Amino acid sequence: MITERRVSGLLILATLGGALFLAILPLPDALSAIRPAMYPATVLFWVLMQPGRFGLLAAWACGVLIDVIYGTPLGEHGLALAVAGYAVIRMRELLWSFPIWQQSVLLLPVFLLYEFVLFWIDGVTGAEVNQWWRWLPVATTTLVWPVWASLLERIAELEVG
Amino acid sequence: MRGLAEDDKSSLLGRRITPGLRIVAIVVISIILMMVDHASTSLKPIRSTLAVATQPIQMIAELPGEMAHYMGRYFDRGQLIADNEALEQKVLLLQARLQRLASLQAENERIRALLASASSLDQNVLIARILSVSPDPYRHYIKLNKGSTDGVFVGQALVDANGIMGQVTDVTPMGSRAILITDANHGIPVEINRTGLQTIAQGSGKSNELRLPFLANNSDIQVGDLLVTSGLGGRYPAGYPVAEVTSVVHQPGDEFLEVVASPTAHLNRGREVLLVWTDNTSDPVAEAQAESAGPANGDANGNANGDTPAP
Repeated sequence: MITERRVSGLLILATLGGALFLAILPLPDALSAIRPAMYPATVLFWVLMQPGRFGLLAAWACGVLIDVIYGTPLGEHGLALAVAGYAVIRMRELLWSFPIWQQSVLLLPVFLLYEFVLFWIDGVTGAEVNQWWRWLPVATTTLVWPVWASLLERIAELEVG
Repeated sequence: MRGLAEDDKSSLLGRRITPGLRIVAIVVISIILMMVDHASTSLKPIRSTLAVATQPIQMIAELPGEMAHYMGRYFDRGQLIADNEALEQKVLLLQARLQRLASLQAENERIRALLASASSLDQNVLIARILSVSPDPYRHYIKLNKGSTDGVFVGQALVDANGIMGQVTDVTPMGSRAILITDANHGIPVEINRTGLQTIAQGSGKSNELRLPFLANNSDIQVGDLLVTSGLGGRYPAGYPVAEVTSVVHQPGDEFLEVVASPTAHLNRGREVLLVWTDNTSDPVAEAQAESAGPANGDANGNANGDTPAP
């Protein structure tokens, strides 16, 4: 399993860069609303798969980067990613015992938590958007997780051999 | 493989003790950071430094769209010719109108001079290209390719051919970011063109809707009324079209009307915008006042001394 090997930092950075690219690629409004949260999913993947190497602080820093790009208050996405990462860490042993395609069921509440923290902070800072389709990315991220996570795992396995 | 055993052990030990503590610390730090960032501008330098660092990946993300745009140009010759013809006709039409405008402007300036008004109608513009729209569908921001080296400043108004689009919120040397009038965090002082009634149009978070929440039940407003900038607050130049009223609803028992308007500017189409310099915004005093007034609904006194004609 990839969890027992040390993946190089360069590979982690490259996958994060790729996910960020997918996250900010301009899309039409309708598609944009259902765009899966690939970047948070990638961050959570490394939190799950590289214990002791990619922790909460790294997840938080990844989130702050998103804040800079989106123009949200600094720390909003950082906080959301760190909280979601914490949930992943608590469920780690459980998640490890399932194959990737079943993990997505367990991760659904985590993605929901991530989106909820964002929703909550948006409300507090007065940028509230209370529309049902706001929650669609939770569903699409859950659907995309098996494909994306097994792709990442395959790449990591290729690297560590 | 390499140093796996001790690595795992330390992380195992670490995991037992730290994640709980660490998450509490991160939550506290994030909340403090957000409060500071939301309430003041002291974190702006950090933000713009990081923004410069993220510019490469943003440029790469823009590439596919750009390529499609330019490829389309290469392959669609017929479309180009048709466009060109349409544009030529339009230029002719506009030039005819401009001739009339020139005389009207001269007349207007004469009359203003008679009134001893300090303001002038001269407005400089700069064309900027839209580099990207906000990837977050609920925040209406655009990125532009003109920055402080071109003289762009925070608070500068953005227009297109049909009306006001928004204002600049962040400036880096090579680019800037602007908030659109439909963002839920944005408000713009407007007046109803037909009656001169002053009010504020707030963004709704939807790309084709503005709300006018502060109109009393007996206000004279109808569907189809044009809203133009009033120039109060000192941010936006006066007299530009903003939106057209699309619905006026009076809920029995409510003190205010529910008025919805749709922006006249093409906010989610087109790739170019105009950055406007007005004479009173390039004045450092007015600029400083507008700066302190905040983006949404600045202080009406800010430009009252410079803008309104003396009685």
